[in-house]
Amino acid sequence: MIQLLANWILSFDMLSGMGASVAWGLSLFIVAALIFVFVAVNAIVLVYIERKVSAFMQVRLGPMRVGKYGTLQTVADALKLLQKEDIIPKMADKVLFVVGPWVILVASVVTFAAIPFSDTLLAANMNIGLFYVVSISSIVVLGIVMAGWASNNKWSLYGAMRSAAQIISYEIPVGITLIAVVAVVGSLNLQTIIEAQGGTGNLFHWIPIPLPNWFIFHSPFLFMAAFVYLIGATAEINRVPFDIPESESELVAGFMTEFSGLRWALFFLSEYANATLVAFLVSIVFLGGWQSPFSSYQGTQIGFSIITIFALFWTIFVQGKTKRLSVYPLGLSLVITIAAWLFPGFAIWMASPGIFWMLMKVAGIIFLLMWFRWTFPRLRVDQLMYLSWKVILPLSLINLMGVAIWMWLTGEIQF
Amino acid sequence: MGRLHAEEMILNMGPQHPSTHGVLRLKLRTDGEIVSHIEPVIGYLHRSFEKHAENLEYQMVTPFTGRCDYLAAMGSEHGYAMAVEKMLGIELPERVEYLRVIFAELQRIASHLVAVGTFGLDVGAITPFIYCFRERELILDLFEMASGARLLYNYIWIGGLAHDVPPGFVEKTYEFLDAFEKRVAEYNQILTGNKIFIERAADIGVMTPEVAINYGVTGPSLRASGVNIDIRRTEPYSIYDRFDFDVPLGQGAMGTVGDSWDRYYMRVLEMSESAKIVRQALDQLPVEGDVQAAIPRRIRPPQGEIYFRSENPRGELGYYIVSDGKNVPLRLKMRSPAFSNLSVINEIGQGWMISDVIAILGSLDIVLGEIDR
Amino acid sequence: MFWKRKKTDVTEQEIYADLSKKFGDKILEFMEEGTHNPTVIVEADQIGKIVSYLKDDERFQFDSLMNLAGHDPGAESELSVIYHLYSTELKHYITLKVFTSREEAVVASVANIYQTANWHEREAFDLYGIKFDGHPDLKRILLEDDWEGFPLRKDYVPAEFYRGMRIEKVK
Repeated sequence: MIQLLANWILSFDMLSGMGASVAWGLSLFIVAALIFVFVAVNAIVLVYIERKVSAFMQVRLGPMRVGKYGTLQTVADALKLLQKEDIIPKMADKVLFVVGPWVILVASVVTFAAIPFSDTLLAANMNIGLFYVVSISSIVVLGIVMAGWASNNKWSLYGAMRSAAQIISYEIPVGITLIAVVAVVGSLNLQTIIEAQGGTGNLFHWIPIPLPNWFIFHSPFLFMAAFVYLIGATAEINRVPFDIPESESELVAGFMTEFSGLRWALFFLSEYANATLVAFLVSIVFLGGWQSPFSSYQGTQIGFSIITIFALFWTIFVQGKTKRLSVYPLGLSLVITIAAWLFPGFAIWMASPGIFWMLMKVAGIIFLLMWFRWTFPRLRVDQLMYLSWKVILPLSLINLMGVAIWMWLTGEIQF
Repeated sequence: MGRLHAEEMILNMGPQHPSTHGVLRLKLRTDGEIVSHIEPVIGYLHRSFEKHAENLEYQMVTPFTGRCDYLAAMGSEHGYAMAVEKMLGIELPERVEYLRVIFAELQRIASHLVAVGTFGLDVGAITPFIYCFRERELILDLFEMASGARLLYNYIWIGGLAHDVPPGFVEKTYEFLDAFEKRVAEYNQILTGNKIFIERAADIGVMTPEVAINYGVTGPSLRASGVNIDIRRTEPYSIYDRFDFDVPLGQGAMGTVGDSWDRYYMRVLEMSESAKIVRQALDQLPVEGDVQAAIPRRIRPPQGEIYFRSENPRGELGYYIVSDGKNVPLRLKMRSPAFSNLSVINEIGQGWMISDVIAILGSLDIVLGEIDR
Repeated sequence: MFWKRKKTDVTEQEIYADLSKKFGDKILEFMEEGTHNPTVIVEADQIGKIVSYLKDDERFQFDSLMNLAGHDPGAESELSVIYHLYSTELKHYITLKVFTSREEAVVASVANIYQTANWHEREAFDLYGIKFDGHPDLKRILLEDDWEGFPLRKDYVPAEFYRGMRIEKVK
């Protein structure tokens, strides 16, 4: 994408004199700025959505005053945070205190360099993309430990220590789970991984239900691996039920206790950047990334018809019991189905890969993370470690072995 | 092999901390995450209730009692009014007794809703808290309808009530009960049966009956340990002997008898029982009748002393009143349940992790207002 | 009502009679008039022994100390401490009372018998200045550690300043 941008810049007459390397550098800068803007805007939007989602889960309205339906609330909050007084505690380690939040932010922003948004839209098509993302995102723990140590506060220290233990513990199962996918594809390139998930096939190779060739449907082991990864990744980004580094009811605010204003905003920014990153990784690795779930326009029509029937049954049998009828799921799927049958162009667009499907999947995963957060209590630190070392890690190892055996059984690889 | 032992650290939890339920300070001696000693430091909310009471007439003490246990003001007022009435030896109209029971039990539901919700909050579940407050809001609406206030009512007076309930109150209370009895299932769905919640609460902070009795723990926390003592049942005061209700006891359904989960679940069960009592009281409520007994303008109980105890949401609320025949109490001591309930924290919280200490503290359901008085 | 109800046949009079037989002249008086809770008045330094006897004896089993309150009847009289005991097993009550001099208020502690008494005795010490002999950790509980005087004594004069802060007068 950087090269494309550079070529595009050079194609203008008045700019063509600047030389290829200058144009390349300029477009590098533009792309970096775009990624940062994406992360910042993403955080603002996600905070708003999270507040609304939590509000609806808790029978409240959420922000309603600033802007229509409170849409400008997080913008106002962000502005408030930016103009707050810059406080560094007297006894804090000043250098680490200042650097810590930036380390976290940078680590979570630069990972987006390797994330493909669509088949063409990505900053850097790396051949070690997956490795890059996983390794860079683990730098976050360094920033957390710096922030926690520098605060010179016992709560912060507890938060930082918990965080270090937690993130390092969960890196291992998460990494091994991803290796299972890499074993199937034979590449660390994220684009290659997505491209390998195109087309339609049977569920788990043999069960004759036509489903997209996503890795979550590849084998029972990868199906399990998707959940193992989601759990591990939730722990890695410190979200409920694994938010013990912050655990506001125990550690006040964990490693963030002493931070306020801009620096606190940076923590928030990186928290949501990390959540988005995890959602991207889940959809890239297990849900086919920017691939459409439908292989053709007939697929769209039939697929959405089936979805509508499911929605109908769900509305009648599940919602009917609770007497809290919501027509949105049924109505939306009905509208899309009718549109798909009436307008083949729409159906074709739905069946074609693109950024729309990528963002839909990411939104779905992020909603799932929010759902976790507003439903579950928090685990205790030793239960968390137990889960990591005695449940998730063995499961991920089993998945790795199982995938290898599965591929041998289905004939994908021969010895 | 010796256990790895690091230097111990003193951790000050509070007085400003999200989970100490007020201004409580816990001095924790910690070895890593393990807490080896807990010393509660109280008194940050001390408002000299007993000193005030010695300088106020009997009627004027009533609003102060509500301010002690601000989550169960009706219960505190009820206990105080009954103690003074017992000294005076007056009989109350039937309607007063029924209305008092209705208010006390509604207050118990409201108080337990806060306890259940904040316990969820302490272990990290935020949504149940808001669900609980949704129902509590309905109860506060009822209280507001009757007394005009939502938190500190000054409604149950010596010799009766401040004034009668407004028309429509009974119907609205029935409506609330109909809605509430179904919603208890929601708390169980979202919190009680949650696997993570059970992991966090079951087997944590087990309180044996001996420890509980020795420390003077009362109320749902005591009954969670399997001790069948509910003052409404063992010595029915007011008209509690006319109602049919169960006293739930800790069964150890998810772990050991007397663990945090049991203490939490007692409150969920008691809410349903209280709703049952309110329903019966509403059914039997006399339609007509005074809400004030004939009492003198200046209350001068005969010389003597009394220790009167009643079952508040948090446990045994006792009033020790000494009268010298004047219109001002010579001595008024409030035996507040949470005061004794909190003192057990070091015994049952030792050796657990910081997160567990929070959970145990939440399961004891303390209100600092009545601990410090 | 509870002071009239009895689950067991043991009455306060019988408890008093038994205590008098056991402890002799350490048991001073039995007060039934002018109180709703019949009270046995005992000597201040013997309260620990008497209470542990009541707790351990098969017939009484007073395993719960409901309440412990200090009391000051007036500026000229002696201070007293009141113990409200209850048996969770047999569901009966007894009230004990001790008197101690105003100048040197010392009462035997029961904190090692009932843990409830630990904090209640600290409270009585805090507000009345009654020292409890044998208490494991006798210090102020509700007031600040450096508070002067014992506010619930009838002859207490409210302090005007605390650490340089003016205390507003209460009428």
